[in-house]
Amino acid sequence: MKPSPISQISKVCVLVPLLAVITAMAGSGCATKNLKTGHDASKAEVLPLVGTIQVHRYKLDNGLKVLVVEDHSSPTFAYQTWFRVGSRDENVGYTGLAHLFEHMMFKGTKSLKEGEFDRILEGAGAEGENAFTSRDYTAYVQEMPADKLDMIAKLESDRMLNLVVNDDSFKTEREVVQNERRFRTENSPDGLMYQEIFGLAFTKHSYHWPVIGYQEDLNRMSAANAVDFYKGYYSPNHATIIVVGDVKADAVHEMVKKYYGAFSPQQPPAPSIADEPEQKSARRKVLKLNIQVEKLMVGYHTPAITNADIPAIMALRGVLATGKSSRLQRALVETGIVSSVDAYDIDDKDPSLMLIGANLQKGKTATQAETIILREIARLSKELVSKGELDRAKNGLSFQFYQGLDNNHEKAGFLGRFETIANSFEDGVQKMKSVQIVTPEEIQRVTRKYFEPRNRSVIVGVKK
Amino acid sequence: MRTQNLKPVFAGLLSTLATLAIVASANSAQAVEVAFERDTNLPVVNLNIAVKAGAVTDPQGQSGITNFMGEMLLRGTKKHTKEQLDLALDQMGATLEVETRAEALILRGAVLASQVGPFLDIVNEIITQPRFPESEVKKLKSQIVSNLLEELGSDQALGGKRFTQFLFNGHPYGKPVMGNIRDVEKLTGDQIRKHYDALIKDKLLLVVGNGDANEGQIRSWADQLANVRPSAPGDRDFVEVPQPQNPEHRRLLIVDKADRTQTQISAGQIGMRMTDADFFPVFLGNHAFGGGSFSARLMVEIRVKRGWSYGANSYFKHGLKPRSWQVHLFPASKDTAQALALSLKMIEDLQKNGITKEEFEFSKRSLVNSAGFMYNTPKKRVENKLLERTLNLPDGFMKTYGPELAKVTLPQVNQALSTYLKPEKLSIAVLATAADMKEPLAKAAGVPLDQVVVQPYTEEKF
Repeated sequence: MKPSPISQISKVCVLVPLLAVITAMAGSGCATKNLKTGHDASKAEVLPLVGTIQVHRYKLDNGLKVLVVEDHSSPTFAYQTWFRVGSRDENVGYTGLAHLFEHMMFKGTKSLKEGEFDRILEGAGAEGENAFTSRDYTAYVQEMPADKLDMIAKLESDRMLNLVVNDDSFKTEREVVQNERRFRTENSPDGLMYQEIFGLAFTKHSYHWPVIGYQEDLNRMSAANAVDFYKGYYSPNHATIIVVGDVKADAVHEMVKKYYGAFSPQQPPAPSIADEPEQKSARRKVLKLNIQVEKLMVGYHTPAITNADIPAIMALRGVLATGKSSRLQRALVETGIVSSVDAYDIDDKDPSLMLIGANLQKGKTATQAETIILREIARLSKELVSKGELDRAKNGLSFQFYQGLDNNHEKAGFLGRFETIANSFEDGVQKMKSVQIVTPEEIQRVTRKYFEPRNRSVIVGVKK
Repeated sequence: MRTQNLKPVFAGLLSTLATLAIVASANSAQAVEVAFERDTNLPVVNLNIAVKAGAVTDPQGQSGITNFMGEMLLRGTKKHTKEQLDLALDQMGATLEVETRAEALILRGAVLASQVGPFLDIVNEIITQPRFPESEVKKLKSQIVSNLLEELGSDQALGGKRFTQFLFNGHPYGKPVMGNIRDVEKLTGDQIRKHYDALIKDKLLLVVGNGDANEGQIRSWADQLANVRPSAPGDRDFVEVPQPQNPEHRRLLIVDKADRTQTQISAGQIGMRMTDADFFPVFLGNHAFGGGSFSARLMVEIRVKRGWSYGANSYFKHGLKPRSWQVHLFPASKDTAQALALSLKMIEDLQKNGITKEEFEFSKRSLVNSAGFMYNTPKKRVENKLLERTLNLPDGFMKTYGPELAKVTLPQVNQALSTYLKPEKLSIAVLATAADMKEPLAKAAGVPLDQVVVQPYTEEKF
């Protein structure tokens, strides 16, 4: 995070990110990958994003996808590399490897000593150099001055192919990640509840475990595990590069071909992700936490991001909790039961959860809030929402969508996320269009289909 | 070639970007300043109405009243109830939130471009015709008190807040913007109305925004505000804030919380005005020490070499008067004493020996080359303008970072660090389990054990 003229905070980001720096070394696993010759000469597909904004999409012969949006309003660009790998791809006993490996990507390569990657970028004026890992993807992001396209393409391609992982730096970085875990989970009531609801709702699928992993699994890992992970998943056919800003699309394509075109695709490990069995009854767990007011988290199983029911579920979420006039705001905040309530769609590749979270007011119990949330959901399954209420929800969701495309970094993030989890950003755009034509009947239908008691998991946080 | 590399080429390029000019409304005796940047990329308009007075104006025993008053603006007008206002805003696809800072109260609005007209009407009503109904006062009190209790669960937020209160030790900059529970529970409708009358006046108001709207429409609207909320003769443009002072000697506070496997360490001193002659040299020195770079000393020593903390950095908070400079890290409890001792030794070394030539050259190159990112989007330019106007900085101040840093020399940096840093007067706050940590922390901090302040984390002491 670059210096800000006002106060600012730690360089911690959302999800499970982080930058790392490096320490070099010898002594351990050095990933070696094959090169191939020959370049792709495919033409761009040119596709609309919103308004006059267009996306140029290319695909190299080795499977690497490249998306470019030209925006010449400032001499900068965002450069992001999204890999289709996350904690979903981990094995039992090695949870957290995808995220820990993300930290290792900032270590040295065959040609760069530890620390050099960061120093070169920082010296060039890079902004927001960072990375983050989710259940389904891992992304590496930064913004650069417009004349640094060659530099960043060279650096990013180098670490995609030539990373060096050594034991000493792995052990130190593992300690850093364990501290990150203490920060996000062990010492965070919200982090503990988030970990527990996925742990409760999923019994077989890898969404069961936290992206950051379990402490005992982190203790078990070695540099060799990281090298294997790198060889398996960090290849062009698993990646999408997104460039948004003051660039020419064809020039980006040529640059990417120059630095990545000779890389061979790699066969990933055979997927071993178990299907989640249908939940048969409601689940509930009480956590004793170091808190002064109670907390509640309610989750319902929802379908995969590409499912046709998702727009109606988004609209349902809007009716429940988008805006101060939404149903849960009025039923819980305005009545003095909770101090805050929100609902979240979890954009996951596989079937996941929609979450409703609430912080109780002093003297109120999580059970009171739970009863009201269940009542409001039951109402949605019995009564059709009014047109006015649905219009408000749609407006709120539209507004959030546009706000999420505010700058180069955000636009690149939207494109990268949907290209990675839904295989096309058009899916994300179409979802927003589909939300606008959701009917009251569809909201009732998806409520009855997904928001039934047996599909529910609840975590209650009470004072220890 | 070093000098070529250090030229602020990037900042120069960006200087051609659109700028936000402040223009006082011309059609009335009153003046609400307006700065609006038209941006038609997305069908959205962002509008901030700032009052150049924040939590520092909270009277004794009424901490949190500025924030409370701001929130109450959204809870009913002479024409509409809170429920009606909420419905109207949601119908427009609009948001309107309150942000309270030490020296500013900001109504942050955003709306779909097609709804700008009705949105401006409703915001005008909210600002000029609030009703402060007792029923809403009661509800808001309960909500804020609960928020304050909920905050006790967040170690990072709580650690930072307690450090600020400890550092400023009674000075207005130590006041928590949301207030403390004791004061918030006692606030009355009359106090809130009186505070509204004191703060909502045209000379203290500022409108800054961007988006797909007509600038003239925004200016006309601001003129109406000025007409309804005129200042009295002699009213000031900014609030008065006394000069804060460092304590006489180093102090240690332990915010005591059970079962911590990780601690929150903040250590710092009174800061510096951005317009101070030494600001840019010290800013550059801070960047080399801990200011946001993964190559900075703190990050390298605490995180990269030892893995002690996920983050370790140092930064300024700015105000009309010098606020704070502080170091922050959050190591595992087992490493806390060592991490604190090393951090303090590093601050002492920074004050005594400064930074190296290599650190200087790297930091300067990095800062100059990245300076353009401080104002490369309309939203950042809006935030810059809000800072400039609420902290009484010259227009375009944020754009001077690149050129000013390019002029700084190594001797200037090290002289400024030597003069400015006061390791012997640091205030240190550690959120930790005191039973396990008091003795090792006192030793690491170099503070006599009997002078260590231990405060239960639920206690609002300062």
